[in-house]
Amino acid sequence: MKPVLQVKDLTKVYKVDAIETPALRGVSLEVHPGEFTALAGPSGSGKSTLLHLMGGLDKPSSGEVWLGGRRIDGLSKTQLSDLRLWNVGFVFQAYNLIPVLTALENAAFVLELRGEAREAREGKALQALETLGMRELASRRPNQLSGGQQQRVAVARALTAQPKIILADEPTANLDSKTGLALIEHMRQLNHQQGITFLFSTHDPRLLERVDRIVRLEDGQIAA
Amino acid sequence: MFNLFSLSWRNIWRHRGRSLMTAGAVGLAVFFTLVYLSFLGAMENGIYNNLTASVGHLQVRVSDYREKREFRDLLIRGAAQVEARLATQTQAQRVVALEIPALVAGETRSRGVLLIGDEQPPELRERFVKQYLAEGQLPETGDLLGIALGASLARALKVELGDPVYVYAPGTLGRGAGAYKLVGLLRFPDAATETRSAFISLAAAQELAAPGSATRIELHFPFTRFSQDAGLVTLQPQLAASLGPGLSLESWRQASPAIAQIFDLLEPLVLIFAGIFFGLAGLLVVNTIYLSLLERTREFGVIVALGAGPGKVTRMVVLESLLLCLSGALVGGVLGLLTIGALSGGFSIETLYGDIGGEFGLPSMVYLSLRAWDISITLGFALATGLLAAWWPARVAASLEPVEAMRFTA
Repeated sequence: MKPVLQVKDLTKVYKVDAIETPALRGVSLEVHPGEFTALAGPSGSGKSTLLHLMGGLDKPSSGEVWLGGRRIDGLSKTQLSDLRLWNVGFVFQAYNLIPVLTALENAAFVLELRGEAREAREGKALQALETLGMRELASRRPNQLSGGQQQRVAVARALTAQPKIILADEPTANLDSKTGLALIEHMRQLNHQQGITFLFSTHDPRLLERVDRIVRLEDGQIAA
Repeated sequence: MFNLFSLSWRNIWRHRGRSLMTAGAVGLAVFFTLVYLSFLGAMENGIYNNLTASVGHLQVRVSDYREKREFRDLLIRGAAQVEARLATQTQAQRVVALEIPALVAGETRSRGVLLIGDEQPPELRERFVKQYLAEGQLPETGDLLGIALGASLARALKVELGDPVYVYAPGTLGRGAGAYKLVGLLRFPDAATETRSAFISLAAAQELAAPGSATRIELHFPFTRFSQDAGLVTLQPQLAASLGPGLSLESWRQASPAIAQIFDLLEPLVLIFAGIFFGLAGLLVVNTIYLSLLERTREFGVIVALGAGPGKVTRMVVLESLLLCLSGALVGGVLGLLTIGALSGGFSIETLYGDIGGEFGLPSMVYLSLRAWDISITLGFALATGLLAAWWPARVAASLEPVEAMRFTA
């Protein structure tokens, strides 16, 4: 089976005032459709950087990034926006919902960016919220939701767009253990029932117990 | 369910106070521009009507009359025939006038004046009477004995209604002298006109100085607004072609070039002032939109990360700026229209400039009104302010790198 996401010999070096800080040093990785994969490692190991590069949020210093069989590391800013819009779902550590929109509107946001008709996007967003047990809270604004509820809306936002892969950066880091576990279970269910591919960065051991595969990063390299 | 329009609308009201102040500044700019435009338009129309009432919209004169010094060289011979020819060409009302440099005298005193003998259609005559007649009446058409004088002139000559007034017009082609009876006193806005004005009928003037002749034939069109004047541009050469040799047709612009120049200055002046109003309001809009962008850098980072391209981000910022400006413009526009509506019945501004205004033909009453163009130009300014104010913040937002923006802390 062809990988949905692949990186080859990927490096990323940050430069600040002529001081170079390598974040990734020759990482190669494949993620196949339907996988539930975790990037694990201590803080500063390069997990978030790798997720950003794989999701087309940033450009590598060298190496290749392939998404759905298309090389994306050389794409322009506009092409990358388009690629993210149609192919990648994101879940961020800090939820990052839009405060003036309701849960339903946040869940439908990517579809609005795609220009989908109102009824279609509302239906899909409601369905995603229902899957995550958030239908009753659809009309609430983010400030009326708990952290766990906000993160479930963020997952619903990624889910609604039916992307090739959902990239989640430390999705449980800001949640208490009970809420974090519940979220993991929701994501796991989506993976099992709908075959959605998940790749997330985490150092949460509870999350690591529930994944198909763990890719460990240390000092910007995949640990043996 | 939202769309980008409602998202922008909700975003601009996140900081209600700041947005209200900014929209208020745009609203004020719209309000002042509309009222200012309507006031200047009303002044323009007032000056235009005053001026054209006294000189006509078009005027037949002998060619190069400004260069000629002798009374006889200024005469349009066979004035009745010329007028009849014009009557076949246009429906405009005609005033035939004969201006005579003369000496008027009472029993003991005399003054040099420009004696005017004219024949006006009833409508124009009625307007003249209403505006300037203080006492008595104007000499009737064909009246060979009556004379009306400026009130100041009458005082200077020490004559009253019913007293005899003597007129001497040496070097002219008629009787050259005549005795009249003072039948009317006139008041003009400026003292200079009042001390040198004397009116008799056209028939009396022709008998006195130039039988069958006139020095000008005015054409008065039913225009009440300066904007209607554009129609003269095509009409003037057509009518001029129908005149015989030695005669020319000039517009009020050519007859009063100084006032025409003032008219030409008014429009750019309005645009400059409107530009200043909106420029100041625009600075507030830039500030508001940029601050809002700065505060929401992380949010914009997320929006970009989720797939909004530079074009869409630009549109979001521009839309916020436009909504802010247009909501202010709407309120300012409605208030402006209500104010103009309330003042459309006219108000006096004579006390603002006193006697001097009359000398420049300024109207004593101003009737505010708006043209479609005034509203269009004001809304155009509001729209341009919204677009220009958004330009820089939109560029900043469109160039955001999602990873850096999401790390941003204000």
